[in-house]
Amino acid sequence: MTSTLRTTKKVLSIQSHVIHGYVGNKAATFPLQYRGWDVDVLNTVQFSNHPGYAHFTGFKCSTEELVEIVEKGLVGALDIKYDAVLSGYLPNVQALQKMAGIVGRMCEEDDNVQWVLDPVLGDNGRLYVEEQCVAVYQDIMHRSKIFLATPNQFEMELLVGMPIRTLDDAKRGFEQFHEKFPRVTRVVVTSLELSDFSNDNVYVVAGFDSSLSDEVFFYKIPKINATFSGSGDLISALLTDSLLNGHGPIQQPLSTSLGQVLWLVTTILQKTYELNVVDRVPHDEAIRIKDLKLIQCKDILKRNLVPSIGKPETIKI
Amino acid sequence: MPRLLATQSHVVHGYVGNKAATFPLQCLGWDVDCCNSVQFSNHTGYGLDKVFGTITDETDLKQLLSGLFDNFPRDYQALLSGYLPNKNSVRCMGTYYAKFKEENPEIIWLMDPVMGDEGQLYVSEDVIPEYRKIALSPKQLVDIITPNQFELEILYGEEIKTKEHLKKALEKLHRTIPVIIVTSCDCKMFDDQDFIYCVASMKGKTPVVYRVPFIDSYFTGVGDLFSALLLDRVYKILSNPTTTLEFEDQVNNVLNVIQKVLNVTRSYTSGKINAKMGSALEMKEMELRIIESRDIYETININEKDYVYTRL
Repeated sequence: MTSTLRTTKKVLSIQSHVIHGYVGNKAATFPLQYRGWDVDVLNTVQFSNHPGYAHFTGFKCSTEELVEIVEKGLVGALDIKYDAVLSGYLPNVQALQKMAGIVGRMCEEDDNVQWVLDPVLGDNGRLYVEEQCVAVYQDIMHRSKIFLATPNQFEMELLVGMPIRTLDDAKRGFEQFHEKFPRVTRVVVTSLELSDFSNDNVYVVAGFDSSLSDEVFFYKIPKINATFSGSGDLISALLTDSLLNGHGPIQQPLSTSLGQVLWLVTTILQKTYELNVVDRVPHDEAIRIKDLKLIQCKDILKRNLVPSIGKPETIKI
Repeated sequence: MPRLLATQSHVVHGYVGNKAATFPLQCLGWDVDCCNSVQFSNHTGYGLDKVFGTITDETDLKQLLSGLFDNFPRDYQALLSGYLPNKNSVRCMGTYYAKFKEENPEIIWLMDPVMGDEGQLYVSEDVIPEYRKIALSPKQLVDIITPNQFELEILYGEEIKTKEHLKKALEKLHRTIPVIIVTSCDCKMFDDQDFIYCVASMKGKTPVVYRVPFIDSYFTGVGDLFSALLLDRVYKILSNPTTTLEFEDQVNNVLNVIQKVLNVTRSYTSGKINAKMGSALEMKEMELRIIESRDIYETININEKDYVYTRL
């Protein structure tokens, strides 16, 4: 019986923790676990809830604590072999540098470890971290072998150093990105507002896989009349699963994985929206949804054969 | 959908404390808010020189709980508390949970008074009066406790050697606590040492003794999984006045789920199931297979064994 059991894939997820709600590790852990991953959860902060609420309390973990847990504990004493490391919010420059150093070494020493890096800097034109972190992330992405990076629009702009407003900007952004960070094999920009589509009520999710082609591909996603916290964190986690779960015999192309992940995420966002507007009078104003309804969406997450949101469009670079 | 707050330990790797409780409860449809009383690399069975991380200090714990209850003063249907590292953290949890319970008397609080096992304390002695204060409070704050026999004796204040004595202890504690589950009773009180005995007692009913096979290996986190599942099963009774679910069956169901999780866990080990405490590589193999057991938590009354042994 033992021989027929699959071995469980292992991921180390280094992100923020909120007690209430679903962002950072709370957004990543349950979906990954429910899809069969053994998730080692390293929390970089512990907050009562995310800062999108008017009030929150909590603390940031010290750099020494984070370093010791990984270096002396997980890698040292326990010698755990990970299939992936998913890194997100790190609270300061020093923690970012040290942790990136450790994860970088883990990947260099063991080819099996794939690094999925969400370069958490900010959103909608506002930085969440010290400004210096931009340069630190640029340096990390220049030096390290990274399987996938998942910036949002603002983070992509900061990393490549140019504004992205149109499809043409996006194309040049990806060119710049690949030139600056050739060791980052794949990149997905998790949400792009582009003027080309401003009348169509859609946003764009775009990706590039330098191991496969010189084409940028993108999906146009109909907007829901709401904003959500945690949707980017959910995309990074589900892409990790889709690309690295080992269910299929061969590595699935990024465009295929992204199409499936976007189906999952938009279905979850739609259900979250519906559960939030049940008791409301219909109105035109976009509502701000603070917490994804991940638990209520477990049947969506359980799907083995995930459909795709559609066919991607492509642009040559 | 129900929501609960769980305050206990967090390990990065492995499944004890909040890591053992959260996923099963989420699979059962609970929104689980986890307040972590520590963040350690792994549990202490790996050997104390192989545990890294920190304890959430009292000031931080206070701020987290006060921030949480200020923002969400009516959001929880249940509270769970497990391992807390010291006197201050127990008192802090007790203070905030008590306040929430007084403001929301219909909610259910399960307290696992984690202090030690088999005659040995693994917290410092000054934790004892804090747990006693909460458990014995005339305000009847806690709805369910899940001590092992040693912890029951501490709360009761005397050693328990006979079934009659056990019954008396339960009666006394029922003055302030409606549901008491003693997760492992001294087998000398019963007959056969190849089994584990568990006693479930609901105020006003005859206590039921369950007997489950003793698995000769070292698994950590079973108690934490037990408390989490029990909270779900008892919530389903206490929150629904017209329920047909029976307490006795719900506890039996939890014991069945635990046995199935242990079987899944064993099927993944490489034959050796007698891991030594302090051996990191062996401990790693003995982590509960909480994730691989995903589809077990919800199974109700499918191929169930009846573990009821006797009544007190």
